[in-house]
Amino acid sequence: MNSKRKGRSSRALDILIIILAVLPILACIVLKVLTNPASEGINISGPLIYFHIHMPIQDLYITESQINSLAVVISVFWLCIYLTRGLKTRPDKKRQIVAEWIVEKVDGLVKNNMGSYFKNFPPFIAAIMALSAFSSLLSLAGLFPPTSDLNVVGGWAILVFILITHYKMKCGPWQYAKSFASPVALAPLNVISEVATPISMAFRHYGNVLSGSVVSVLIGAALQGLSAKLFSWLPGALSGVPFLRIGLPAVLSIYFDVFSGCLQAFIFAMLTMLYVANGFPEELYFKRKEKKNNKNNNKVKVR
Amino acid sequence: MQSQDIINVNIWLILISLCNLVILFFILKKFLFKPVKKILGERQAEYDAKFAEAEGKLAEANEIKDALEEKFAGADDEVDKIIKEAKDNAQRRGDSIVAEAKDKAGIIVKNAEAEADLRKRKAAESIKNEIADVSVEIAEKIIGREVSEKDHRRLMSDFIDKIGEDDGADQ
Repeated sequence: MNSKRKGRSSRALDILIIILAVLPILACIVLKVLTNPASEGINISGPLIYFHIHMPIQDLYITESQINSLAVVISVFWLCIYLTRGLKTRPDKKRQIVAEWIVEKVDGLVKNNMGSYFKNFPPFIAAIMALSAFSSLLSLAGLFPPTSDLNVVGGWAILVFILITHYKMKCGPWQYAKSFASPVALAPLNVISEVATPISMAFRHYGNVLSGSVVSVLIGAALQGLSAKLFSWLPGALSGVPFLRIGLPAVLSIYFDVFSGCLQAFIFAMLTMLYVANGFPEELYFKRKEKKNNKNNNKVKVR
Repeated sequence: MQSQDIINVNIWLILISLCNLVILFFILKKFLFKPVKKILGERQAEYDAKFAEAEGKLAEANEIKDALEEKFAGADDEVDKIIKEAKDNAQRRGDSIVAEAKDKAGIIVKNAEAEADLRKRKAAESIKNEIADVSVEIAEKIIGREVSEKDHRRLMSDFIDKIGEDDGADQ
């Protein structure tokens, strides 16, 4: 009796958590529908601006992409809560297996690509993947995917750039400066390529997602025009139905929204891992550490 | 409703998205990776404990098995010994029985021989007497006069004894 009640209340809590996870996205859809009247024709523009705040350097625009990424963060948070509820050493729920699968996959990926030194990286890589993939997948719900906003992806790329520089600086600023002048003549090019890393990452991701939605819109408009030409002889309201838009846009959406979105998330995460791991001068760092340890040991011995 | 340009750079927006990623990193670390890692560690510990327990049990079982095997080997020896003893006993007993039987048979044979001898002798005696009688009668009849029976009998007896002795020597 007691366990039955407990099971029922736990199930109710599960449902509540799922509702809480879906709610932010629903709220985003409602917000968009209420503030954005349906538009006709080809309309390719940036995110809608809900309001703006006056700030020192630039005005801060709170746009669709900000709201949507916040919704993704909240959804992922509730999803995590849902996945890790009632963990047991002997799993009896599918969601625990899913949670363990995610953790172990990301762990394995990081270990394979970065080595065992970067133990704290799996959550970060998982965060990049989740944020990027879910942001791109928001376009399935008819929302503006935050990844097609340069600012959003640029922020991630800058964070990755900070991480790369941080790990390159592990052996001190002098070593970091020296790494650019490996052939001294190519130093300016090396600096440019270093700066180009975050820019290329940001533009790659942003461009892929944006181009996907642009192509989708263009094909949709083209098919509408074609079907208007082909089926104008039909009587009454039937002549206005864009028959050609049934089917093909769905297939394209699977490629541009689902496949491309997940692929770009994976590429962004992979590039992050590779750049950070390559930037880190592993051998030199461990050599120095060993030397330092030896010195410390000698000091202890002298004392 | 206004919308932003497709390509635009806004420092604050960049900062916000950067913070979003950091926040999501902490969320995933705290709410997904930490509990799952903890449970994985617990499971590993549990399995290790189980494995150690199983190992201990296996060693114990092996010990018992060895002891039993030793016991069985001892039992085999014991059985062999008992069987051998029993065999020896039986052999000895049989031998003694056979020997007794042989003795008995020897006695019986001896008795029989003695009896047969006695009988033979008795028979020879009676035959001797009869022959003596018959010969006396024949002689009486032939001679027609009475032979002194006493003398005759002695004569005959000597004669027959001589024959008997010769027979005995032949045999």
